[in-house]
Amino acid sequence: MEKLMNILNEIDDSIDFASEERLIDDQLLDSFGVITLVAELEEAFDITIEASEMVPENFNSAAAMWKMVTRLQQEN
Amino acid sequence: MTTFQLILYILIFLPLCLLFYRLTPQKHRWKALLGFSIIFYLMLCRELSLILYLAGAVLITHYIGIWLAWLQSEEQREIRESADSAGKSREKEIRSRYRTRARGVLAFGVLLLLSILAGLKYYNFLIRTLSEILNGAGLSSSLSEIRILLPLGISFYTLQAIGYMADVYWGRIKAEPSLAKTALFLMFFPQIIEGPICRHSDTAEMLYAGKTPERTDFTAGYIRIFWGLFKKLVIADRLALLVSQVFDDYRDYSGVVVAVSAVAYTIQLYMEFSGFIDIVIGSGRLFGIRLPENFRQPFCSQSAAEFWRRWHITLGVWFKSYIFYPVSVSGTVKRWNQYGRKHAGKYLTRLVTSALALFPVWLCNGLWHGDRWSYIFYGMYYFTLIILGTAIEPVRDRVLSACHISADSIWLRSFRILKTWLIIFTGELFFRADGLKAGIHMFRSIFRDFDIGNLWDGTLLNLGMSPADFAAVIAGCIIVAAVGHIREHSGSISTRIAGSSLPLRWGVCYALLFALLLFAAYGDGYQAIDLIYAGF
Repeated sequence: MEKLMNILNEIDDSIDFASEERLIDDQLLDSFGVITLVAELEEAFDITIEASEMVPENFNSAAAMWKMVTRLQQEN
Repeated sequence: MTTFQLILYILIFLPLCLLFYRLTPQKHRWKALLGFSIIFYLMLCRELSLILYLAGAVLITHYIGIWLAWLQSEEQREIRESADSAGKSREKEIRSRYRTRARGVLAFGVLLLLSILAGLKYYNFLIRTLSEILNGAGLSSSLSEIRILLPLGISFYTLQAIGYMADVYWGRIKAEPSLAKTALFLMFFPQIIEGPICRHSDTAEMLYAGKTPERTDFTAGYIRIFWGLFKKLVIADRLALLVSQVFDDYRDYSGVVVAVSAVAYTIQLYMEFSGFIDIVIGSGRLFGIRLPENFRQPFCSQSAAEFWRRWHITLGVWFKSYIFYPVSVSGTVKRWNQYGRKHAGKYLTRLVTSALALFPVWLCNGLWHGDRWSYIFYGMYYFTLIILGTAIEPVRDRVLSACHISADSIWLRSFRILKTWLIIFTGELFFRADGLKAGIHMFRSIFRDFDIGNLWDGTLLNLGMSPADFAAVIAGCIIVAAVGHIREHSGSISTRIAGSSLPLRWGVCYALLFALLLFAAYGDGYQAIDLIYAGF
């Protein structure tokens, strides 16, 4: 989780990723931010994020992202 | 749909549907909605045969969904059967095999729907372009254009159908087992003409549930419908006269008149499209169905990118979900990402990745609007501006920081909004112009004989609008801007009014009705004005 928080803070350190739960719904993280994040997550956690995962529910909070990352790691 | 048909829809069709809907038992209400939708479509179709295209789209969408669901269940069965014996590698092999098959089925469905759309929409465009190329090369062309009638709403229901099939493929939703329910999802009558483009997860449950709407739904629905009519009849239909006069005879005009016509068209388009969407959302609300919003105060935007998050929202969401994100996680973009991060640095990698994912979005956006080079130009115009905005973002932030200017400063925000208005007005000038050449001619003519005095010396009064028309339009725009301001800061107004005291509720309804009766543009010149987006 710490690794994920570091990635998120590097993308935009003005967002409080620990508490925000509507990152996509409130447009705090835009689509360019999301595709940058996807590339970072794939490299850092050795996972493949497919188009089916590109839904707001997977990116609305750090916890949701972490859940997706751990699920994809298990599936690998 | 002309203004006259729209008024008949609100005064006769909608109340009859509501009455029948309330009299129908809850479990059969979705069938009533489907029945109304079929009647509505048949009434508006210029040729009855055009409903065959819609029927075809329903059949393709439904059975592709069923096929995908069958593949998913077969995949699960094989995985269950092999779970004990072969382990994870066998499971991976099964998943990969079924995914390839499902991808083929999805591609088949998408191609079928897109080829119908492209055949109807772009055949003549291709013939024209080929003829121009051949003529340019000194060859004669025997290809000739044919008369094609476009089925009502095809651009909207095709996107909705593709979205449904993709969502079933990705496992986001379950395939709908009932053909009639799939038909209702694709052709629900308020939204078939101009959207909003709904995802299955947005509306299907409400459409099929047949719940009895609450009193607030009824009041909020009618307030929204009257509000939409106000925007269309008081503002848009008046501006249509000025806009068509200048754009139809664009060679006769220059300077301020062309600039004013570009602004007038932008306002006309917004008032008409968002006004009709208000009527659509209000109509849905009368049946207790909440359709997604399509506009969110687009003229408050501080950039072109933000404008497209507030303007025709459901089209933007569709492009993002089904083109932008799939392209951004495709093999080519991922390979570039890996290469770029090693060799080109983060800034350039991000910029090129964004451009690669954004280019097809804006190309499709242009093409979706129709068979003109000016629409493709319109798409490329926004693509270039949005990528430029992303490219200069770090420099802009550094300059602001060095000058100690806060990003939230009112001056900076106002400057950005005005800059975005210029971008929007220019884009809409090309969008409305009769072809790309006409658009370029009009844009250049703004800088010829530019005399700001034309704004008040009576020149504008020779363009089909009287002083009273200008006064009604300006007053209407101020009211719309004030309501937009409240909506931006406090959320939906119609819902709040619907939940308020009886005198306020009825007061607002009567005020809107009187405003329509007193200030709407009636008469021979107005009744035949067609909805702009219904033509797409």
